[in-house]
Order: sequence, then structure tokens, then C-alpha cells
Amino acid sequence: MKKHLIAVPYYVWAVVFIAVPLLMIGYCAFTDASGAFTLENIQQITKYWPVMLRSLLYAAVATACCLVIGYLLAYCMAQQSERTKTVLMILLMLPMWISFVLRTQAMQDLLDLVQNWLKAAGIDLQVRNNALAVVLGLIYNYLPFMVLPIYTSLEKLDKRVIEAAEDLGANRFNVFRKVILPLTMPGVGSGIIMVFVPTISTFVVSEKLGGAKFNLIGNVIQEQFLQVYNPNVGAAISLVMLVLILFILIIFSFLDDETKEGLL
Amino acid sequence: MKNIIELQNIHVSFDGETILDHFNLNIRDKEFVTLLGPSGCGKTTSLRAIAGFVQPQAGKVLFEGKDITKLPPHKRQVNTVFQRYALFSHYNVFENIAFGLRISKTPEKEIKERVHEMLALVNLKGFENRNVAQLSGGQQQRVAIARALVNNPKVLLLDEPLAALDLKLRKGMQNELLRIQRQMGITFVYVTHDQEEALTMSDTVVVMKDGLIQQIGTPEDIYNEPTNPFVADFIGESNILPGTMLKDYLVEFEGVEFPCVDAGFGENVAVDVVVRPEDIKIREPEEEALHGVVETVTFKGVHYEMMVRSANYLWKIHSITCREPGTKIGMKIIPEYIHIMAKEAGTAN
Ligand SMILES: Nc1ncnc2c1ncn2[C@@H]1O[C@H](COP(=O)(O)OP(=O)(O)O)[C@@H](O)[C@H]1O
Ligand SMILES: [Mg+2]
Repeated sequence: MKKHLIAVPYYVWAVVFIAVPLLMIGYCAFTDASGAFTLENIQQITKYWPVMLRSLLYAAVATACCLVIGYLLAYCMAQQSERTKTVLMILLMLPMWISFVLRTQAMQDLLDLVQNWLKAAGIDLQVRNNALAVVLGLIYNYLPFMVLPIYTSLEKLDKRVIEAAEDLGANRFNVFRKVILPLTMPGVGSGIIMVFVPTISTFVVSEKLGGAKFNLIGNVIQEQFLQVYNPNVGAAISLVMLVLILFILIIFSFLDDETKEGLL
Repeated sequence: MKNIIELQNIHVSFDGETILDHFNLNIRDKEFVTLLGPSGCGKTTSLRAIAGFVQPQAGKVLFEGKDITKLPPHKRQVNTVFQRYALFSHYNVFENIAFGLRISKTPEKEIKERVHEMLALVNLKGFENRNVAQLSGGQQQRVAIARALVNNPKVLLLDEPLAALDLKLRKGMQNELLRIQRQMGITFVYVTHDQEEALTMSDTVVVMKDGLIQQIGTPEDIYNEPTNPFVADFIGESNILPGTMLKDYLVEFEGVEFPCVDAGFGENVAVDVVVRPEDIKIREPEEEALHGVVETVTFKGVHYEMMVRSANYLWKIHSITCREPGTKIGMKIIPEYIHIMAKEAGTAN
């Protein structure tokens, strides 16, 4: 009974900030400006397939890069002494204490700086306003979300199990492939979700680093709400994205660990 | 018989603290050797030096006469049964045992055969698809043994394999391990802090203390002829008291002269005398020169334990007959049961 009472604030929170907004999105997506039922908003989605596809692609690429870099980073961190671990952990977390928008703005300015240097050196190379800059921005911003869960699962790993594998004849590569990787799959799984879900819906990074040409679906939704003042279409796109992400996550969670390893 | 493993002058220290010092040990082929000593004396470290997980700062590890000191663990022909098993929780029983064979790219058909052979050896037939986390401690232990034996190692290292099991299970597993060792015909290097386990299972016992080998010998040697008070005290219960070696084959303690079987200590030399509690026979006072008064009697199941006070020493005596506290008794000790040890420098008492 007491436990229920403690949970009440959470239920209120969940209803006010999660359930109600979701219902509102659902309502808006299927009504027009006058409030009458319509499927027109949903039908408009077809216009945005290319942007949606691009968002998916960028998110997937960024997640894959984060996975490779993040695993390596987490693995190296886990090998260090306790002191070095703490220092590295602070270094990793430090940028996250700075506002996301500010960080991305800083990256934009940095890339512009590089652009100027390149120009001065007579090299004609576009470093900003392209796909690469957007993906780099995504990787930079979301890398810690990949490193943390993987690092945690590496830390939890029983060192004696690794020794057991070596004892049975496994070299470093086999120890990694047959013991360390499978035992850290839970961390890899949460890392993928924690990077993929926010990267697919971000709009700040694409706005600052992609110019207007590399809009992601997040930009389109923001545009519909704040510039075109057509919240119904915005809600419809959000709803479709929501269903899409949910669908991908469900498929992902149904894969067993071995298939996931195979995919890696 | 030839030596399969030789540890030569091994020195290991961690953070400047010496763990093993001047460690010399020869292990013969097909022998059951036990490293015995109190917790923290360096047993696991010596085993890890053989397996390759510890690099000694000095000294050599030889395997069949070849220097393997610098060889990494995965290239050594020894396998380990780890303390608390260290099984692969992401594999079932079959895959745990098959691990070594898969690493060496053994054909699938042979893997199946070998794993089933191993399952039969450790009495786990029918368990191949079980999740290892669902097994009892004893069953996990068997999987760990099968997993280590599947590669046909010439030497199996076992680090306190039975310490986590309850007494009854432990007795059963002791016999099974001996059976497996005979059946496979390989060398076992076994670590335990349980002296009874060491004595009942081993061909050779190595008693260790603070990273130094105290004595190497057969269980009988170690029990009957401990070389110093530590061994005497650690292996079973002992009466250890000061005495004087009057001349060869004659020792004096508690004011009484006893014939004994030791010689070579010199004349009138202070020594330590060791007598096992079960080696003292209770007689009438007038029959024996050594007298004492019974202080306490405790029933221990198979025997009584009596504490008996003589002139300067409180004796522990195990006997199947008992005397009331306060009774004066005579104590008979035959020469074979009197063990003489040279006094250790710095431990005069
Ligand atoms: N990796 C290590 N780093 C520092 N000290 C260690 C390490 N391994 C063992 N020791 C120390 O070495 C001593 C002997 O340990 P160990 O060989 O495990 O003893 P035993 O197995 O006989 O209980 C202990 O004091 C232990 O604290
Ligand atoms: Mg130990």
C-alpha cells in the first residue's frame, strides 16, 4: 500500500508529461485545423519519405560508428588503473555538462575555422553543410551514451572467465570474440538504443552543421510546428516516426544475442 | 620417473611485497601433488605461475624440460580448474566443455564424441543442454573439471576445487577426483588449505607458509616426520614441547629420558619434541616415568580428548578410553612416536 503511495507522483508525472502529449499527438494527427476527422495529414507523409529515409540512414551510420569507436574506447578505459579510469570518465562526461546546442554551435564554429584555414592554404574542400559534418556531429554528441553502458558491462565482467578462456587455449582475438563480446552484449544493446533513438529525431545537429540542405525529419517536424504553423502535419509525422522507431526496437529486441553478434 | 614440471628458484612479488621466494619444486609425471598451506601463503600464485598468469620476477618454469617461463597461458599444455569454477555463463554445459576443442578447430563430430566422453567421466550425462547457472555447486564443479580435461592436458591444475562444497559432497568429490586422475593418467597439481584433504588424496604434499616451502614429502612423511613446528602444528594436532637431545637416540623432556629413533643432532642440544595426541598411551602412574593429572575430558565422537598436566606442559591426548578429571595417569610414548625437530633460529621458547 505504501509503495503505491510513493509511486503516485511518478504516475502523475507519467500521465501529464507522457500519456497526455501522446494522446494529443494522436488527436492532432487525425484532425484538421477545425478539429474534424481527416486522414489527409497522414497521407501527406509520402512527401517526406526521402527525409525520413535520410534520417534513418544517418542515425544508423552514426550509431554504427559510435558502436565501433565507443567499444574501443570503453575497452581501453576498462584496462586502465582505477585512477586513470576516473580521470578518463570525467573527461568523457565533461562535455555533457555543457548545453547540447552550445556544443553543436562550437562544433560549427570550429569547422568554419578549419574551412578558413583550408581556404588560406588553397584547398577547396567543403567541411560543413554536408552529410559528413552532420554524421560527425551526431557521433560527437552521442558517443558517451554508447561508451557508458558498454564500459559498465565490461567492468562487471569477471576477469577469471577471461583467464579461463586463455587457459583453454584462446588467444586475445578468440577471448574477445567468444567471451568478452558475448558477455557485454547487454551493454552493446542499450548503447545502440540510447544512441539510435535520439539521433533519428535530432534537429539541432543537422541545422547547425548541415545547413538547410541536409534536413532530418526532426527539422521537418520543428518546421511544421514553429514555422508553417501546421501542427496537424507535424503531429502526423511524429506519430509515424514513433511507430517506425518502436517497430525497429521491437525487431531489435527479438533478435537473440547470437544474431546480434553476427550482425556486428 | 621424469619431472613434468620444474619450478626453479621462482621469485614473485606484487607491489614490492614478496609473495613467493626461492620456490623450488619438481613435479613428477602422473603424480598427485598438493600445495597445502594457510590462506594467503601463495598457493594460488604458484599455480598461476605454472599456468602462465603470473610472470615471476626471477626463476624458471620448465615443462618437460623446456623453459616455458615466457610462454603465454594459451600456449601452455596445462589446464586449470579455477577457484569458484569461472564457467562461461553465456554457454550451456555442452558449449562450456567444447570451448577448448572449438578453439583448436576440432571437427564437429569429434567435438561431440569428446564432450560426451567428458560428460560420462564426470557423471553429467544428459546435462549437455542445461544452462550452467541452473546447476548446483557440485555440478558446476564437474563442468569445470570436464572443460579443463577435454583438451587432454598433461597437467591439470586445481585451485581449491572443493572449498565451496559442503562436507559430504566434498568427500564424494575427493574420491571422484582420484578416480579421474587414475583414469586419465595425468598429473594433478592440487591446491587446498585443508590438511585432511591433502593427506588423503596426495602422492606428494608441499607444505607452504608465507611463500616459502616448509616441507615436501609423502603424506606419511609429512605427518610422521614434520621438519618444523609449523608443519607439525598445521598437519593435524600436535604436542610440541622443548626438550634436550642428550645423545643419539636419547632425548629428555619433562624431566624424563626417552629412547627415540633420531640421531645426528649432537649431544646436549636443545630441540623441539613433537608427539601426536593419538600416540600417547594411558597407563597407571606407577607403570610409567612420565606422569600427569587429567584436567578436562571432551567427547569427540570417535575418541575422547583429554588435557593432561605434567610438570611443565599441558598435553593433549586422544584415546578411546577416558579417565575422570583429577585422575593421575602415566603416559607411555614409544620411540617411533617421538619426533625430534631442530630448534629454529629465533623461535626459542
Ligand atoms: N594480483 C595481485 N596483486 C597483489 N597482491 C596479490 C595478487 N595476487 C595475490 N596477491 C597477494 O599474494 C598473497 C598470496 O596470495 P595467494 O597466492 O592467492 O594465496 P593463497 O592462494 O595461498 O591463499 C596474498 O597476500 C595476496 O594478497
Ligand atoms: Mg588461493
